[in-house]
Amino acid sequence: MSIFFKMGFSVTFLRPFTRLLAPFTLTRKRRNLHSAILQRYISPKIPALSYSSKTSASPPGELELDGWKTTMKSSIEGGGVLTVSNKDEDSLAATRELIEMWRLLGKEVPEHITEEELKTIVECASKSSKKKYLKYLYTKEKLKKAKQVKKKVKAEAREEAMRARLLESPEGDKQQDFFFLRLWDRQMSTAMNWKNAQAMQFGQPLVFDMAYDKYMKPKELNNTISQLLECEGWNRRDVDPFHIYFCSLKVDGVYHTELAKRYGEKWDKLLLTATEKSHVDLFPKNKIIYLTADSPNVMTTFKHDKIYVIGSFVDKDLQPGTSLAKAKRLNLATECLPLDKYLQWSIGNKNLTLDQMIRILLCLKNTGSWEEALKFVPRRKHSGYLEISQHSQEFVNKLKKIKTSNSFRKHYSNVHTQER
Amino acid sequence: MILYLSSFRNFPKLWKGSLSLALGPGHSSRCLFLTIYSGIRNQQRWFSVKTQSPQNTKGMNLLIAKSRYPRKENANSKEVASELPHLFAAGAAKKRSQVNSPQTQAHALPPVKNTIQLPTKPLNSEEWDKLKEDFKGKANFEDWIISQMAHCHSSVNVAKSLLAWVAAKNNGIVGYNLLVKYLHLCVLHKQTSEVIDVYEIMKARYKTLESGGYSLLIRGLIHSDRWREALLLLEDLKKVMIPSKRNYDDCIQGALHHQDVNIAWNLYQELLSNNLVPMLETLKAFFDFGKDIKDDHYSNKLRDILFYLRNNQLYPGESFAHSIKTWFESIPGKQWKGQFATIQKSGQCSGCGRTIESIHLSPEEYDSLKRRIMSDVIDGGDQYKKTTPQELKKFENFVKSCPPFDIVIDGLNVGKMFPKIRESQFLLDVVSQLAKKNLQLLVLGRKHMLTQGSRWRKDEMKKVQQLAHCFFAEDISEDDPFLLYATLNSGNHCKFITKDLMRDHKACLSDAKTQHLFFKWQQGHQLVITNRFPGSKISFQHSLSYDTVVQTTGDSWHIPYDEDLVERYSYEVPTKWLCLQQKT
Repeated sequence: MSIFFKMGFSVTFLRPFTRLLAPFTLTRKRRNLHSAILQRYISPKIPALSYSSKTSASPPGELELDGWKTTMKSSIEGGGVLTVSNKDEDSLAATRELIEMWRLLGKEVPEHITEEELKTIVECASKSSKKKYLKYLYTKEKLKKAKQVKKKVKAEAREEAMRARLLESPEGDKQQDFFFLRLWDRQMSTAMNWKNAQAMQFGQPLVFDMAYDKYMKPKELNNTISQLLECEGWNRRDVDPFHIYFCSLKVDGVYHTELAKRYGEKWDKLLLTATEKSHVDLFPKNKIIYLTADSPNVMTTFKHDKIYVIGSFVDKDLQPGTSLAKAKRLNLATECLPLDKYLQWSIGNKNLTLDQMIRILLCLKNTGSWEEALKFVPRRKHSGYLEISQHSQEFVNKLKKIKTSNSFRKHYSNVHTQER
Repeated sequence: MILYLSSFRNFPKLWKGSLSLALGPGHSSRCLFLTIYSGIRNQQRWFSVKTQSPQNTKGMNLLIAKSRYPRKENANSKEVASELPHLFAAGAAKKRSQVNSPQTQAHALPPVKNTIQLPTKPLNSEEWDKLKEDFKGKANFEDWIISQMAHCHSSVNVAKSLLAWVAAKNNGIVGYNLLVKYLHLCVLHKQTSEVIDVYEIMKARYKTLESGGYSLLIRGLIHSDRWREALLLLEDLKKVMIPSKRNYDDCIQGALHHQDVNIAWNLYQELLSNNLVPMLETLKAFFDFGKDIKDDHYSNKLRDILFYLRNNQLYPGESFAHSIKTWFESIPGKQWKGQFATIQKSGQCSGCGRTIESIHLSPEEYDSLKRRIMSDVIDGGDQYKKTTPQELKKFENFVKSCPPFDIVIDGLNVGKMFPKIRESQFLLDVVSQLAKKNLQLLVLGRKHMLTQGSRWRKDEMKKVQQLAHCFFAEDISEDDPFLLYATLNSGNHCKFITKDLMRDHKACLSDAKTQHLFFKWQQGHQLVITNRFPGSKISFQHSLSYDTVVQTTGDSWHIPYDEDLVERYSYEVPTKWLCLQQKT
């Protein structure tokens, strides 16, 4: 008890010099206990600003433990920061402040934020959704910045190269003979358009079912549109493109507006069929095969006389069976890709993205080889091809070779299979 | 090899734990031999591997592979090995950590991640400068070191000297992140005066703070005389988001600490109105504080808390149960007597002999649950998702045509219970045993069960169909919703057999209230086959006859609680009860 009293005494009066006490006082734990008890009762009465005058006497080299506090506090006058928070400031401003403070804390929040984004944040229902959205903005901002930096570096490099070329160009200015003008991009797109026009007439239909808008949130819908764009791009470049149908595409629905926005004026010149009608109205029911990962039937071969339907649906909410229910309602045949048969599946959803689907289908259409086609399944999702199917595939290939060499038919597929 | 083993015997104490292992199967001793060997060859490498986690078998494999390489030098190295016993110890540590002995795991920790020893006493500026030079890492040194200090609970003075150093370098300005981490340390060590200092600084420098800073300040301030300012901070926090239950907990504790009961109750009301589930600590605080208050109003409020626990199927923890008991016993003039008890199978409390509330739902609850199962689980907005309308119609007609069932069996679940027995045979066993008791049975299954196969034999399925009513759904339909519907439709006496916990179907129910109803109904009506040995007579785990929930009869209370040392899953209920009764 007496020790305690003594300690109390010393701490009370030597509080600014606690660091001097430290070497010879009690163990840390006890010290903390004492000081905690004491400080609770004593400290509020000690004026905070009295530290500085005393600590200035500390020996040189040593740090003044409490000195910084006065500077920090004194910035009330210097910085001119408001001390009393305005009671009726609106939540937008408050949120902006909050984000700014979070940024100071090193959390993942964007540096600049627009009014619209701020409104979205205020409307977020929960703290976690706010944080999620802020993180999204943060990564977006970061990517944008990185891109800008890259662009700048590239521009500088290009300028440098230009200058270098200018220096050496005078003598290299002589006439050269060329066969073609450099108009490759335009040629390419014209060729692709021809091919796609041909596909519009004679190509195999491939349907994207656009009746999932009510199952998706804006973010998922955006992803879907991006994937559709990519699909169209892959299809356009293919040797033998599909004739793409966007079925059940409601004019001025969410899909339509988004697609029109992304494509801009190109939307009306796209070589595909966009229709409000459903796929069951356009095609005979017995020819339609609805592709869904939930299907109990496994796709064995790609049939060139069938019409495959892909649901343009990004399902991040995990609502299994939505597309299967759709097919069941319309009484359509369903199939799923034989992923388990050919691949050693390890992680991830069996649902593939739309662009992966179309590339697999295009590959199947052209080569008929599952091995080739399933190369488009993301590598992270499986740990390799299954042995058994490899053997059987080789066997099939061998059979094919014999068959084709007999009939003297050269096929695109054979070119591929022989290459391997 | 013999040489090694003999040297083990020289250190019996060291090897107490795993001697048998080292002498055991050939594989392990060989493994050990190799590790030891590689240890001698390359000590440096050996130590770097040692710090890896015991689960890292890759490193181990690498080690073995490496040690295999210089096999020819075996002869000389053997002698060296026996001269270096401490390497044996290290190898032993690795070995023991591989069999997951907790002792060596503790020894292996902590990993040598940081290159700098955290200072234990305040440093001066030169020392900080030096420390910063030593630090090699991507992160900002100040950020990193204060995070480490916060993590290791360093003393406040060390952190303060760091801040002073930073301030001295930076015109007396300390960044917000450093301040918050410092505040965290102060709150952790309950340095209230420091908390107040930081509070003043933050008030001076920043117009508003963010949630983390507010929370720390609230927690720090409630112990001081200026605890009311914590409430102002809570108000500030409300402007941007709903405060967490932790914030409310701190404020309520602070108010109770300073004897301001009204504020505490108001905050509690606010907490509830924000749809937050209060922390059990908050509720416990009210009970703890109630001991000293002899006030009818207050005790009514505490009873309200108990009803809140009842309505939300919450169970107090062990210490909370003690608090409740103490509070009841402290009520003057009522002579409450509390004891910890269990409930017998029959639903009687072992303490007082009273019967606990029945698990059966009231008729209204039953009806509402039935409706909700129909609308949310089976229909769910799209009948095609789980079944088809035609099938549903067919099933409804089928159920109507049959008498009410006593037991509904999930044929697939029961059939697949024992992988070594043929499905149809086990199903037949179960059905015939139940049929002997003259019960109306319904077996639900899928169509594929009827096609002849190695697992489902036609003759056995014929017998099942003779003994019980059967309904076979399409192969792509779900059978569980049918099971639920058939059981609910047959009435309160009907039970169902499946091992499935039905959590996915429970999740389809949209509100918590119905989910609780479903859970309660499930507890009372689900039978689970328990016997491990399929040859023997099939026995069922009894379904509970009483409801595990906080309950009262006016002059008695029964409160189930969670024991501290028992981990309870969400689909389980506590087994221990607090029995309180009034002496009359």
